[in-house]
Amino acid sequence: MTRYLDLTVKEINEKLKNKEIKVVDLIKESFERIEKNADLNAVITLNKEEAFKTAEELDKKEVSSLLFGMPIIIKDNINTKNLRTTAASKMLEEFMPLEDADVVKKVREANMVIVGKANMDEFAMGSSNQTSFFGPVKNPWDKTRVPGGSSGGCASIISSRSALFALGSDTGGSIRQPSSFCGIVGLKPTYGRVSRNGLIAFASSLDQIGPMTRNVYENALLLNEMVGHSSLDLTSVKQEKEDFTRFIGKDISGMRIAIPNFYVSKDIDKEIRDKLSNVIDILRDKGCTIDYVDIKYIDKCVLLYQIIAMGEASSNLARFDGVRYGYSYPNPESFDDLYLKTRKIGFGNEVKRRIMIGSYLLSGENAKIYYNKALQIRDDVRKNFLKIFEDYDLIIGPTTTTKAYPLGVDLDDAVKSFLDDILTIPVNMAGLPGMSLPIGFSSDHLPIGMQIIASPMAEAKIYQLGSFIEKTLNLDLNPKVGVYDE
Amino acid sequence: MNKYIETIGIEVHVELKTKTKIFSSSINGYGASANSLTNLVDLGYPGTLPTLNKEVVNLAIKAAKVLNCSIRREMYFDRKNYFYPDNPKNYQITQNRTPIGYDGYVEIEIDGKSKKIAIEEMHIEEDTCKSTHRKDVTLLDFNRAGVPLIEIVTKPCIESPEEAKLYIEKLKSLLLYADISDCKMEEGSMRCDANISLRKNIDDPFGTKVEIKNIGSINNVKLSLLKEAERQSILLDRGEKFSEETRRFDNKNNDTVLMRVKEMGNDYRYFPEPDIPKLVLTTEEIEEVIKTIPMLPDERRKIYREKGLNEINISKLIQNKKLSDYFNTLLDSNIDFVVASNLLLGDISKYLNEEEKNIEETSLTKERFISLVNKVSDKTLTSKNIKDILNELLENDASIDDIIKKAGIKNITDSNIIIDVVNKVIDNNLDSVKDYLNGHDRAIKYLMGQIMKETRGSVNPALANKTLIAELEKRK
Repeated sequence: MTRYLDLTVKEINEKLKNKEIKVVDLIKESFERIEKNADLNAVITLNKEEAFKTAEELDKKEVSSLLFGMPIIIKDNINTKNLRTTAASKMLEEFMPLEDADVVKKVREANMVIVGKANMDEFAMGSSNQTSFFGPVKNPWDKTRVPGGSSGGCASIISSRSALFALGSDTGGSIRQPSSFCGIVGLKPTYGRVSRNGLIAFASSLDQIGPMTRNVYENALLLNEMVGHSSLDLTSVKQEKEDFTRFIGKDISGMRIAIPNFYVSKDIDKEIRDKLSNVIDILRDKGCTIDYVDIKYIDKCVLLYQIIAMGEASSNLARFDGVRYGYSYPNPESFDDLYLKTRKIGFGNEVKRRIMIGSYLLSGENAKIYYNKALQIRDDVRKNFLKIFEDYDLIIGPTTTTKAYPLGVDLDDAVKSFLDDILTIPVNMAGLPGMSLPIGFSSDHLPIGMQIIASPMAEAKIYQLGSFIEKTLNLDLNPKVGVYDE
Repeated sequence: MNKYIETIGIEVHVELKTKTKIFSSSINGYGASANSLTNLVDLGYPGTLPTLNKEVVNLAIKAAKVLNCSIRREMYFDRKNYFYPDNPKNYQITQNRTPIGYDGYVEIEIDGKSKKIAIEEMHIEEDTCKSTHRKDVTLLDFNRAGVPLIEIVTKPCIESPEEAKLYIEKLKSLLLYADISDCKMEEGSMRCDANISLRKNIDDPFGTKVEIKNIGSINNVKLSLLKEAERQSILLDRGEKFSEETRRFDNKNNDTVLMRVKEMGNDYRYFPEPDIPKLVLTTEEIEEVIKTIPMLPDERRKIYREKGLNEINISKLIQNKKLSDYFNTLLDSNIDFVVASNLLLGDISKYLNEEEKNIEETSLTKERFISLVNKVSDKTLTSKNIKDILNELLENDASIDDIIKKAGIKNITDSNIIIDVVNKVIDNNLDSVKDYLNGHDRAIKYLMGQIMKETRGSVNPALANKTLIAELEKRK
């Protein structure tokens, strides 16, 4: 059995260019690893046939770029043409998109090979990957623990080196929190950076697709290919082409970095705070300024999130009614019967709970009291963050309050599952880019992550600091599961 | 019946004449085979997002302007949430909080007086799909889903079914003129809902309101409101209470029929559409669009009156926008506009109708038409001549002079020659002269016939007639 997927992308690229290996070899290894790690339950649909066909075609072409021929996995709420896209829901168990998402088109244009669709929380609602209709995903570092969510399948796949790249989505932390739990690098870009066209909407004003990878450099490489304005998404931002790797390796001394006091409270696991302190010491030694700051309303963001995300979700998911596509209750007595039974059977409990709360929050006068008010405060949150960025280059803090917890723990504790995202949600509220990267391990050897947050469109700066920290810590982030057991 | 005061408010939905739909690139068309004009966006497929057709915004700006509305500079779209099979996303994108136009009016003329019907607001929204309910199935045609609409809402300020009818007529002519919609009620591109309530005294609060949905023609607007007012007044006379309800007009029974009693607090869970950012219109943009609005009927009427046209011709011209536009190109020339309007609305209109042509499709350029009008004004051509050479005028490019020459028309306009002919005819028909002098005017007709015979139709009839009467008078 080969171990090419343990190499860096640059090393693999050299081997491809030298014709030492072929794209088909990479893809074969990717599928072998996924199969050996079947117990992680990280994949909903494999794309074997098409992947090998693409690989064979690529092997006839010249190796044109670093991402050429690289295996990538796509979260199952991102549409892939003629490849089942379920959003991990019974509702879309058989759903076959007729179009690629914008971002999937870009990935194909970059000559990457889609190996499959990653498991996730149903409609991206959850933070432990336990709400999937296709069963929970497991954490490669400890298979009795959750990988985080909702992009848990992506995180598990990248962590286990079953594919090198993944596209996740992040509404309140769904890329960063599982990246933290699984010891990988995950970035939520600036809202509007990446087209949402083809992403099955959860909360439209918060959703953003982002790259999940083994390391910072490869993350920037993938983001390079993902971004750009789309005429099909009015919330996508007009932007200049830029190379997100351009600051990687550049000196960080003199950087001004802020830490919100809220991000170092006693509610955060001590081991996590210790690892962050270690990073802070390293940065100070390197000549960075680190100040503790207060950001008004940052502590209210979970509440804002619940109102905005559930309100929008209740409307976004109304289209799943059994009339045009997806699960449809057979032989209904009436339209009302069709709606009721299709949605009762087609949606899981967490999704139904959020739809109900969201509908309530938008009912009658509630929309004014809750949703519109939440939008106003959210504007303030954004302004408060931007004010910090007048004085600081970046904001840092932990990604999560805890390390990965055992499967089954917070399944019925709706409030706790939102507290998982207490440190990631403010970034979505303010529409900022934020990245999680590993900074160490707990005493029981579970990954711990930190978050780096930048002003809008300043992802390159995140990568600059992130790559420095990554290089300095030089952690071994391969859990060595599956193929390594032999 | 007349002891109650009627209060009517009207909501009109108008489909905009755009090439494509409001939020997708599908063609906006009527009459195509079912579901042929749809794409994934129209069907509300997962992952699809709305884009915004700028043409829709421009037509809405035009509409706001012709309805004398204030035009909002910063606006949002909202989602109206409700489950119904004709609603593909189960929410409709509309403008709930920030309609593009507000505080406008439409001026109508009633009993010789003008009245302003106040427009509360007008907003942009998407149409639903068309559902047809059969015995066991419901058929859905998504061609209409996503067709752009504007909804125009009056204040409850209409005081009679006749006013309601006049308002709809005026609204239609304005929207047609500004090329905003084709306003075909029978095809559903203009749809009308009317609310009516009765009360005894002007100081009383409004009575119970009943909505008549989807009225299919302008005449039925008036008719259905008359019937509904009658129904309500009978109930009120009897002292019966009735609830707010939705009715429809049944053509066969010529009466309104109950559809459903209104449930209180219909909850549409409106909230701002997160997929469409705030729309900002600059003054320049608005001005640019307003410039493209053609002259509206009221202004045309005013100008035509100034030019001396009679009311019948004015109305006919305004009803035919293409002819009216053509006529307007002549306004700065120095011609007899009465002659011009008679020519256009007479033989030329007849020809255009028969040939199913537009005036621009004929060879009658502005310059040739002016020349033609002048030939009629100076009596070179008679109305009989026009009929004879009409096809030449409209189908050939030759100059009017050449056509006249070729047709051999040589009208006698020399008054000396006319006097000679007239006297010759008078001398040969002394019996008729006697009749005339005895007060029998019909003798004129006979004598004119003789003059025409004598000149083989080449004498100008008006001149000949005038001369004949003058010469006859001399013989008194």
